[in-house]
Amino acid sequence: MSPPRPEVVVEGFPRRRPRWMEIASSAGHKDVGRTMVVAALGFLFIALVELLLMRLQLAVPENTMLTPVTFNRMLSLYGATAIFLFAIPLALGLFYYLAPLQIGARGTALPRLGQIGLWLYIAGATVLYAGFLFTPSEAGVNPLPPLSELAFLPNNGVDAWAAANGLVTLGFLLVAIDLVATLRTLRAPGMAWRRLPVFTWAAAICSWLLIAIGPVMLAAITMLLIDRNFDGVFFAGGSGGAPLLWEHLSWIFYSGAYMLILIAALGAVAEIVPTFSRRPLQGRSLVIGSLVAIAAIGTLAWMQNMLTAPIGIGWMYYAMFLSLALIVPFGLIFFNLISTMLGGALQMRAPLLFAIGAISAISIGLAAEIEHSMVAVAWRLHNTTDATAATHFALVGGSVFGGFAALHYWFPKMTGRTMGETMARMSFWTIALGTLLAFVPLFVAGGDHGEIVDAYKFFGGTGVSGLNLIASIGAFVLAAGILLTLANAILSRTNGARAGHDQWGGDSLEWLALSPPEPHNFDLLPDVRSDRPMRDIREAIAHSSSRRAEPVAPESQPVA
Amino acid sequence: MAPHSPGTDQIDTLLWIGFFAAAILIVAVNGALVYALRRYRASRGTEASAAPTPRRTQIRVGALLTAFAVAVFVVSLVYTDRAREIPASRASGLASASSEPLRIEATGQQWLWRYDYPNTAFSYYRLVVPVDTTVELDLVSTDVIHTWDVPALAGKRDAVPGKTNHVVFRADEEGVYEGRSATFSGQAYAAMGTEVEVISPREYEAFVQLQKAEIQAAQDRVVGLIESGEEP
Repeated sequence: MSPPRPEVVVEGFPRRRPRWMEIASSAGHKDVGRTMVVAALGFLFIALVELLLMRLQLAVPENTMLTPVTFNRMLSLYGATAIFLFAIPLALGLFYYLAPLQIGARGTALPRLGQIGLWLYIAGATVLYAGFLFTPSEAGVNPLPPLSELAFLPNNGVDAWAAANGLVTLGFLLVAIDLVATLRTLRAPGMAWRRLPVFTWAAAICSWLLIAIGPVMLAAITMLLIDRNFDGVFFAGGSGGAPLLWEHLSWIFYSGAYMLILIAALGAVAEIVPTFSRRPLQGRSLVIGSLVAIAAIGTLAWMQNMLTAPIGIGWMYYAMFLSLALIVPFGLIFFNLISTMLGGALQMRAPLLFAIGAISAISIGLAAEIEHSMVAVAWRLHNTTDATAATHFALVGGSVFGGFAALHYWFPKMTGRTMGETMARMSFWTIALGTLLAFVPLFVAGGDHGEIVDAYKFFGGTGVSGLNLIASIGAFVLAAGILLTLANAILSRTNGARAGHDQWGGDSLEWLALSPPEPHNFDLLPDVRSDRPMRDIREAIAHSSSRRAEPVAPESQPVA
Repeated sequence: MAPHSPGTDQIDTLLWIGFFAAAILIVAVNGALVYALRRYRASRGTEASAAPTPRRTQIRVGALLTAFAVAVFVVSLVYTDRAREIPASRASGLASASSEPLRIEATGQQWLWRYDYPNTAFSYYRLVVPVDTTVELDLVSTDVIHTWDVPALAGKRDAVPGKTNHVVFRADEEGVYEGRSATFSGQAYAAMGTEVEVISPREYEAFVQLQKAEIQAAQDRVVGLIESGEEP
């Protein structure tokens, strides 16, 4: 039962403060969500700069462009920026903006929580980059103790990393709590769970996932901070602590986050593919069930990352079983997405193009992950660039292709303007080419030559010089493609073609609201009667106008 | 990176099985995408079909995927189990290690590996082992996490402080095998390599004796210097 909602909403007090101040102090879900998306895209740019610096260093053998310390700092910042400051907040920002619209709500249930979440994220990011004022972390993408303990990295870098990601994770947690509360209490009349759009299902799944994994990371970070600052021994090997404890806790979070990014991307793709195929999503409930399964199974398979650690062989088989079990839900989602396209009438617009790119790249990355789940093969391929390539295919597929598909699809809703189609196409093909060039050589370097990850240099004569050079060129192509879309978004913000409220003919309720939506989202909402409410509304309008056409027409005749 | 130990044979085979399993999925998904893009464009006048994908097809695809996942799991289990098998030393191997593996302790430390042989001899960077002899490395670390990785001889394993991990191999050919450390361990991580030199059992005996004698001589010299009062 939803509470009675007012039919008339009064608003529109004259603005007395500058617009940026209004946005910064707003707890409206659209302002908070949009700020989060913009910040995430900004951090994508920064992550690219760090990636390119590392790829420049790795372009030629035994390069001395960067010192080992600088390289390690770039590596640590890149890992934190790409995951904590770009991929997760991009997904959360889109959820926070769109999920209330998709369920026909006028806002979120606990708006101040979402607002605090956004600002904790910004505060965390500031702390991470304030590290440049003294020293950024040198402990790697996942700062494994004892390396991240005070004895081995005595400067403040790791503390900044831990404090920053702690604040950011806490922020995500608050946003997730608000989303869960909103989805439970503020759904429009008739919006049963089974009628929820797939993207909103993804929002619900990812929020619950964050509520499960966020505190695990917060606990690990707290222990690390105690170790470093208050003589703790949680992770100190040999003095009563266990370095493996950090591995377990952090991999629970990272595995969950990996799944979160993919679930968000597939949720968006599952909205975009049907819209541009002019055909409802096939196997809708199966797709939703698969997304739930991925969140649970994928997170429980965290020990897939620890197959070379001193853990029992039984645990390794358990991790392998769960990882390989993921083939079924992911396979069913891919099948149903493609099955929607087969038999559809495809309209090749930018969102569909990026959505197809997401399906393709994620499928390659996850198929390559199969090798890393087979225990004996993991003993060969663990920590080789083959692993880098697999995760980057899956995560670039999820957060760049999937994120950009969502950006192109919902940009008209968020700004009232469409993104330039020509530039979008150029960007898509550049990113596709860049992804292949940047990461396919790494598959070969890691799989064939056992080239290791995270090293600041490689040696000539080991057969990987050419591969590394191609990968470095590919990284620049990839970056150029991403910059094209970022530039397109900035230019289209003011110069794009005007968009209507129902830009693409999508089936979910956000297309009923104006573009951009009013602060209260909707004036009036009809009862939801199916899982395609916007189509019902369009049909009702068409039906009523055709019925009214006959009596109305004579009256409109000019009186002679 | 040709395999030179019974375990790595199995890893190599499984690697290729995994490669083909992955390739099948990649080709299936991307092939279907390309087909859909060529065949179902609205610009070619295609009309969207109203008929949903039959429930039976969904069940069949689910069953097919489950069968595929189970097959990959079972095959991986079999090959992993074989790769874990501890091979017996050959008759041509070291005589004293014919029933029990030759145990050597490998200690990871920033950024060098130290090897301690059974007779108190030790060496840095280069591990010397006899051919055709089963060798068991006890991996430990004195500082941060390191990973011992000599791909021709064995799968990689982590050396975690406070824990002991194990690597077993039996080198089947004399020679020098290159390896690297494969867990990020700080500034000189990129250069933290190791080498395994495989020699005949007789040469191995001589090597550890010589190593022991040299270490003993060096220690005696230091003790002598201290006793004679020349060095504190």
